[in-house]
Amino acid sequence: MSESYEYLFKFLVIGSAGTGKSSLLNNFIGNKFKEDRCHTIGVEFGSKIVNIGGKSTKLQIWDTAGQERFRSVTRSYYRGAAGALLVYDITSRDSFNALSNWLRDARTLASPNIVILLVGNKKDMEESREVTFTEASQFAQENELMFLETSAKTGENVEEAFLKCSKTILAKIETGELDPERIGSGIQYGTGTSKRLSAPKKPARSPSDCACHV
Amino acid sequence: MQSDFVNNSANISLQLPTMLSEEGMENRRGPPGVNSRSLSIAHSAADLEVLREIENVYFHPPSEFDAGRYVLEHAPASSCDDIERMFAKLKRQQQVVSGKALHLISQQRDTCDREFKEIQNIREQLSTTLQTCQRARVQLRAASNHLTISTFVILANFRKRQIIRSVLKSLELLRSLRSVEKDVAELLLKKEYFEAIELILKSKKAASSHKEYTCIADLATRLQDTLDMTEEKLDSVLASICYNFDENTFRKLRKAYALLGKTQAAMEQLHMHYSSAVNESSIEAVKNYVGDCTDMKFQEMCQSVQANKAPICLLNLCENLFLIMRSYYLLVDWHSKHDEEESIPISSNVFEIEKNVSREYIRQKLKAGLVRIWNDVQAKVSTFLKSSGLEEYPFEKFIQMLGVLRKLTQVAEVFCGDKSDLLQDFIKTQSVLYIKNYHRGRMEELKLFLENEGWEQCPVKSTFNLLYLQEFKQFKKYLNIRSDTSLLKTHSDGASSVHSQEDSVYIAKYFKQNTNHTPFEIFRNENITNDDIFGLEPELVSDDSEDDEPDELKRDFVDENDRLEPNESPSKVKDSVIVTNTTLSVLRHCGQYLQICRYLPQISLEVVMLMNQLFDYYFFTVHLFFTADLDVASSTLYSSKLNSVLKRIKNNIDTENSGVVDGKIPSPDPPQHLNFTSEENLHGLSERIVAVESVIFLAKQYEILQPYLESIVAQHQRMILEHFKDNTLAVVQDLRVPVYMCSASKSVDARTALIAMSQVKWDVKNVAVEHSAYVDMIIRKIQVFALRLENVSNKVTLNIEVLNSIWSMVSKFIVHLLVEGFSNATKCSNGGRGLMQLDYRQLFLKLEKISGLKPVPFQDYVDKYVKAYYLPRKGLEDFVLERVEYSNKHLMALVTCACENKKDRQALSVIIEGRDAAV
Ligand SMILES: Nc1nc2c(ncn2[C@@H]2O[C@H](COP(=O)(O)OP(=O)(O)O)[C@@H](O)[C@H]2O)c(=O)[nH]1
Ligand SMILES: [Mg+2]
Repeated sequence: MSESYEYLFKFLVIGSAGTGKSSLLNNFIGNKFKEDRCHTIGVEFGSKIVNIGGKSTKLQIWDTAGQERFRSVTRSYYRGAAGALLVYDITSRDSFNALSNWLRDARTLASPNIVILLVGNKKDMEESREVTFTEASQFAQENELMFLETSAKTGENVEEAFLKCSKTILAKIETGELDPERIGSGIQYGTGTSKRLSAPKKPARSPSDCACHV
Repeated sequence: MQSDFVNNSANISLQLPTMLSEEGMENRRGPPGVNSRSLSIAHSAADLEVLREIENVYFHPPSEFDAGRYVLEHAPASSCDDIERMFAKLKRQQQVVSGKALHLISQQRDTCDREFKEIQNIREQLSTTLQTCQRARVQLRAASNHLTISTFVILANFRKRQIIRSVLKSLELLRSLRSVEKDVAELLLKKEYFEAIELILKSKKAASSHKEYTCIADLATRLQDTLDMTEEKLDSVLASICYNFDENTFRKLRKAYALLGKTQAAMEQLHMHYSSAVNESSIEAVKNYVGDCTDMKFQEMCQSVQANKAPICLLNLCENLFLIMRSYYLLVDWHSKHDEEESIPISSNVFEIEKNVSREYIRQKLKAGLVRIWNDVQAKVSTFLKSSGLEEYPFEKFIQMLGVLRKLTQVAEVFCGDKSDLLQDFIKTQSVLYIKNYHRGRMEELKLFLENEGWEQCPVKSTFNLLYLQEFKQFKKYLNIRSDTSLLKTHSDGASSVHSQEDSVYIAKYFKQNTNHTPFEIFRNENITNDDIFGLEPELVSDDSEDDEPDELKRDFVDENDRLEPNESPSKVKDSVIVTNTTLSVLRHCGQYLQICRYLPQISLEVVMLMNQLFDYYFFTVHLFFTADLDVASSTLYSSKLNSVLKRIKNNIDTENSGVVDGKIPSPDPPQHLNFTSEENLHGLSERIVAVESVIFLAKQYEILQPYLESIVAQHQRMILEHFKDNTLAVVQDLRVPVYMCSASKSVDARTALIAMSQVKWDVKNVAVEHSAYVDMIIRKIQVFALRLENVSNKVTLNIEVLNSIWSMVSKFIVHLLVEGFSNATKCSNGGRGLMQLDYRQLFLKLEKISGLKPVPFQDYVDKYVKAYYLPRKGLEDFVLERVEYSNKHLMALVTCACENKKDRQALSVIIEGRDAAV
């Protein structure tokens, strides 16, 4: 098909339920904002090709359910993510308090090198704000996260969030800090590059030489 | 006076002949003038004799007859006497004649006198007449002298005045001719086209009749110019009609053209304007979405429209084109109305006939024009669509575009009754293209999902089914889950009533004169729903299930309990729903596909087939991932239907992952994150269960959909669905066998077990009382398996069906293991056979207890094998021939132990070896 890209980054959007993760993803991939969207079940998926520093990069974004009972279902999608948006809702202190747990999950289940951007969503609801910008900045600094406040409703900073995270990943690739060739890096060479990752060989499936004749 | 005179003279002349003729009648032979009666009265007979003797020659007129000479010539020469006698005779004759003449004269005298008197009278009358005439002449002369001269002066003056007047008129005309241009301009401004043309034509006529003025020649050319300009102006007004038909303006134009004698030509011209209007407004619609469009063809412009602007651009295009169509529609409408009004009865009048012919021509032209304009419009829209890369649009946008096109086809139907086959076909092919492209994206996504799937059970309610998903909300009314027998509430009309009666009435409204609205403007509304676009009826809350369903819809279908209740025994679980994240995503896609179908009923089958492909891929992937480590021979694990369905799917999948095979879907990469090696988790049994059961669940959901799917495809296509149902959906359960066997076959380590069995002495004399040790070993392994299965059931809701199929796989594995082990015995006595029976009875007893299977399946396999030992020669031969489920090795071992007779042994060996060839 027409889409060609140089890199493919696997992204996660994580955070407590109702913080606007799905809204952010949908806004980013160009869908309309919906006032009442239903809860994400398990994971949903979206992808978009963006241009980062002249390189067309495909972002493969997994939007996870925030509810606790989905942890087990969503866990398998963490594996090998190159970047993550860690989302809280600026009008919900609880969602902010839950950040450390999410962060731990991300760093243990995904790669330890995962590039994480902290997102304070629902910026448009200034009147109900419960988490201040400084407070969140501090949390970000302490945990070596980038930070942005966004609004999936107005679209403010949404694209920036994804792009900023992608740029950082790209920069890390260029400095050699991240190695795309390493399995589970969450990065793949795309169709637009010459060094294409060869598809992992499937384990050869041979009929059993077991003594049993079934 | 005169007549009297004439009459008198006539009388005179008449009397003479009468007198003479009387004489003639009496005596023909006698000399003229001799009347016997008069003779008798006046003369004596002698005289008469004398008269008679007169020679006739003497009666000749003297001019012709010389009497003297005659006498001389005829005088007798003989003697004087004779001469004397002759003389006397002649003398006598003369006397008689003279007397006679005298007598006649006197006789006629009175008459003569009377006549003379009359003549005199007439003469007098004549002279009075003459006098009267003369007097009249004199009087007339006097009169003429007095009257004529002054009259002529008057007449001359009058004539002069006339001449001056005409000169004045000419001058006035000249003056007015000079101002024609200005007046025409004014009239045109007032839209008085007819009057303007009339003015010019009159002026021209006037000018041509005044060629004698030198200034006229100049003026005439100027008038021609004015006429040309005015016609141009009319033409431009005519052109503007194309964009907005105004009845008044058009009526005026028509009158003006009629005056010019160009009614027909104007219609031709108007049609050309319509053509170019279609062109221009198309360009106009697209122009704003193209950067620099100078020297660009329409097609090139279309190609450079940005993808995200294309829907709005199409909308503009359709709206612009609609305005032209409406204008034309009104034009035709106007004509048909006026035709009726003005219709001229059939007439023999040449002029009228000509007029009728022209009218008929225009009628035909207009009729043909409808189709022609629609074709132009279609061509423009098609050009746009072809160059717009429709298949790359996001779904919502695509649906909107389709909605616009669909509306356009409805417009066309009202406009010219055209069914828009062209556009419909285009919509269909584009839709297929779109849906295929869309599907390709979904398949890629599905591949990703499957590759990343953790095969964890998604926590959904035990009542969950596809209707809980937002995507299926619209289909609730078509699918009745509750009634067990028929799931279908048939809705035969489905969504296929694309063109309803109301639609055309609705569209017709927009063709009215006095509206600025277009049928396309609903698309400008941000909040428009797809149902609005497609004019589908809004979904009603299904009436029969009001009590709980709407509630359920609002509620999350997700199980609110964070943990499954572990203390619930699996055997009690009836309606466990095992779905994965990917299952849900497949179902959601299905919902989307079906929504597409609602809007594109004509491609339902294609969509359903693609939907089935989602299923196939999921099915195939589960099989691929979860049987990769199957380490027992598969021949009896795959039903023939399962084999053929897997083969069918595999044909569409690029299993080599070469990436070069066109149209094939790449095979998913096997996951690295799944642990199939840990004995602890029974080699990924929980993942296998989730995987297989989720396929089965998915198949059930597809089955729920089948009746609805059948209702949206054409009658003759239903068998395709049926085939899918029978040969794919109904077969998925068979997948449990090979997948669960992967774990079951590792419940007992075959090698250890076989070694343990080989250590048993089978050639014992006496039947043992105690079963062999390996049985306990196997049972212990099975107990461990059961414990670990218990752990699995904490993670996954296992229903009895799942458990049973797992246990029956264990059983299947055990019986094969046993037969294998028994066949390894080279020597075996009756006692040994007994021991074997004792062993497996014991084993099955325990297995029954552990697994809950009653009876444990597949026992026959080992039972028959062991008992074959007791068969007579013939029975053994039949056994060897018929029991294909045992391998040659098994049978050889059996024969070796069972036949004491060497010849029999050899014969049976030959039969066994021949088996392969026969099969
Ligand atoms: N005002 C406002 N509401 C938002 C914003 N983002 C999401 N929402 C609303 O928050 C609710 C939860 O959003 P959702 O995307 O489902 O959150 P998720 O559970 O994290 O995926 C929805 O009702 C959204 O409409 C935002 O930026 N501003
Ligand atoms: Mg969500």
